[in-house]
Amino acid sequence: MKDELPAIAMISDFFHPNVGGVENHIFMLSANLIRRGHKVIVITHSHSPDRVGVRWLLPGLKVYYIPFPTIASSATLPNYFTFLPYFRVIIAREHIHLIHAHASLSSLGQEAILHAHHLGVRTVFTDHSLFGFEDAASILTNKLLAAALKNVDAVICVSHTGRENTVLRGQLFEKSEDSSALVVRPNVYVIPNALVAEQFTPSTEPVSSETIYIVVLSRLAYRKGIDLLVATAPRICAAFPNVKFIVGGDGPKLNDLLQVRERHLLQDRMELLGPVRHRDVRDVLVRGSIFLNTSLTESFGIAILEAACAGLYVVSTRVGGVPEILPQDMISFARPEEDDLFRALSEAVAIVSKGQHDPVEAHQRVKNFYNWADVAERTEVVYDAVIKSEQKDLWTRMQRTMELGPFAGPIYTIILVVDCLFFLFLEWLMPRHDLDFVQMHWEHHNFVQLTKDAKIKDR
Amino acid sequence: MSSTGWKKVLWERQPFPDNYIHPHSFLSSLRRNPNFKPYTYWPLVLLSCPITQHLATIFTFLAVFVRLKERWLDARVLLWVSIASFFGGYALCEILSYSNTVNGVPSRSKTIKSSLLVFLALMGLSPVLRTLTAATSSDSIWALSACLFLLNALLADYSTLKPAPHSQERLTSVLSMNAAISSSVVLASRLPDDLAVFSLVLFAVQLFALFPIMRHRLQVAPQVVQILFTLTLCVVSFVLTVPLSISVASIYAGILIAVTFVAPGVLVWAQKYKNEIRGPWDVAVPRLN
Repeated sequence: MKDELPAIAMISDFFHPNVGGVENHIFMLSANLIRRGHKVIVITHSHSPDRVGVRWLLPGLKVYYIPFPTIASSATLPNYFTFLPYFRVIIAREHIHLIHAHASLSSLGQEAILHAHHLGVRTVFTDHSLFGFEDAASILTNKLLAAALKNVDAVICVSHTGRENTVLRGQLFEKSEDSSALVVRPNVYVIPNALVAEQFTPSTEPVSSETIYIVVLSRLAYRKGIDLLVATAPRICAAFPNVKFIVGGDGPKLNDLLQVRERHLLQDRMELLGPVRHRDVRDVLVRGSIFLNTSLTESFGIAILEAACAGLYVVSTRVGGVPEILPQDMISFARPEEDDLFRALSEAVAIVSKGQHDPVEAHQRVKNFYNWADVAERTEVVYDAVIKSEQKDLWTRMQRTMELGPFAGPIYTIILVVDCLFFLFLEWLMPRHDLDFVQMHWEHHNFVQLTKDAKIKDR
Repeated sequence: MSSTGWKKVLWERQPFPDNYIHPHSFLSSLRRNPNFKPYTYWPLVLLSCPITQHLATIFTFLAVFVRLKERWLDARVLLWVSIASFFGGYALCEILSYSNTVNGVPSRSKTIKSSLLVFLALMGLSPVLRTLTAATSSDSIWALSACLFLLNALLADYSTLKPAPHSQERLTSVLSMNAAISSSVVLASRLPDDLAVFSLVLFAVQLFALFPIMRHRLQVAPQVVQILFTLTLCVVSFVLTVPLSISVASIYAGILIAVTFVAPGVLVWAQKYKNEIRGPWDVAVPRLN
């Protein structure tokens, strides 16, 4: 039974030592899959100066750092072929059954989806972000995504809004069997992010009800709606003399905040913390009783969840996937307008000052909503469905790729065919029987059994 | 499995598989072409008039240049035409600014001072300009000037919106004007004498620096005036080119007709392919007081 669990390779440009939502997601998902008995490795690009080669992370997670240079925001240049030699050797050595690519801007992930079928490896893709359809960058990246997802075996999105967006961007439609109408492919799943609730416990001592602290923790950038914060904060301070702000984060809009603080003489009422490390987030959160999120776009909003878990009442703009993540009585929504945000914040201050929001109860509720073990289990269902489905042959792949369009179709088909030739060349150059296969002496079920026995003995 | 119990939430485990797609709520907030205002043909034709006018001025300039080069046109005639059109255009601008109370018209003394300055500077510089690119072969000059005129036509400011008073000119329109002036300077170096160079560059300044300003002012004039003005320019450029080369003249006519009548038609036709997708994933625009 245990032998049938697929071995999985997580592939993304975004991984530890960088920090962020995608990085954390990959790590937590891998750790929980390992706990369930899977073999999991991660493939990402190297980080100068010395994060290179193969490393092991704590729960037994092997990470391959491929020597690729990055261009911007830790993403590698999309070039379709250079990853194949590494990919082939790693996947063959590690006896991988399934690759799981993350993030639509990660070219390593997209490339892996292109190469996987040579080795008979199945593919799953998780999309973490929302994109528009208007600007040139979106149009280009959406086309790349559509090409990569044409032959992927399953797609996972982190929210229902994210799924709608990904379905449109990646053109994940298929002709239904009975009519010519287009229906969404059945292999598009929604599995939310989760959080480690134990890391975000509410403060044990009760928050003082005299002064109400509003916490903002975000990158100080336009997309995070800092303009709204700049406009609303002085009005809130003027309306409620017992309200203070704590703002954590760094970014291009920091100057605007400094200026508004100076202009309205709010030095003692608005505390700017600068960049906050992830391990300190909880300590900052529990100082306050209201969390304010002013993002203009958000696919899941993990920061909101962390704040709600730490017992804060949340006020957020109604954008992207945010309305899906918490029940109505734990969060107040505002339109992304100055007046409406002021209204929502005033209501939140009223709720909190009346003591209608219980931090401990909120923590317990969020703990029940999301946990990583659940996410891993649901992801396993996807893996299972993918492994059981039939793999597309090369001819079907080419035909599907040609459907991309009169220009993109032939280009990607050529890439697909050249990739096959390159693979055959590599098979000749570095024959598979010469490879150094990885021997796993680690038997996870024995380990689980041993720890269980040890626990029983302790009792 | 009934589809009634499904909710669009993530915090609750629902008795549906993760790939379940609710038939009614999926993509229900998708909006296609929300602010779509279809263009109609004739207003577009009217809006294309500035482009036609600009192209016609380039064609006119080229015809005049060929005549000067082949000595079919006396440079003094061109000089007087330039001066006359300057005063004519200035008077027209004055009338337009009176009738429409456009702000930001510089005072008359200032205008006269700066125009005299340009006039004298050009006169002084014309011997230099004549020999400036004498060492360059004519073929390079033709290619260079063609490229520069293309740049000029591409970057010129065809917008109909009245610029706010004292607003800065857009960079592209400044670049466009510079391209045209450079082009005329390199062309002028092929001319035989200083007077011809002087009159051609002066003419170029009229056409490519001053005329666009007047064109902007004209856009508030009644439609009949605009149409007549466009038509006059087209006819002038055509009539000036016909004696030089019938084939070139017919190409000009083809371009002008294509820009004025065919291109708007293509745009109106292409609108049926417009597919703007809007939804909750778009970056919201914050509204501040």
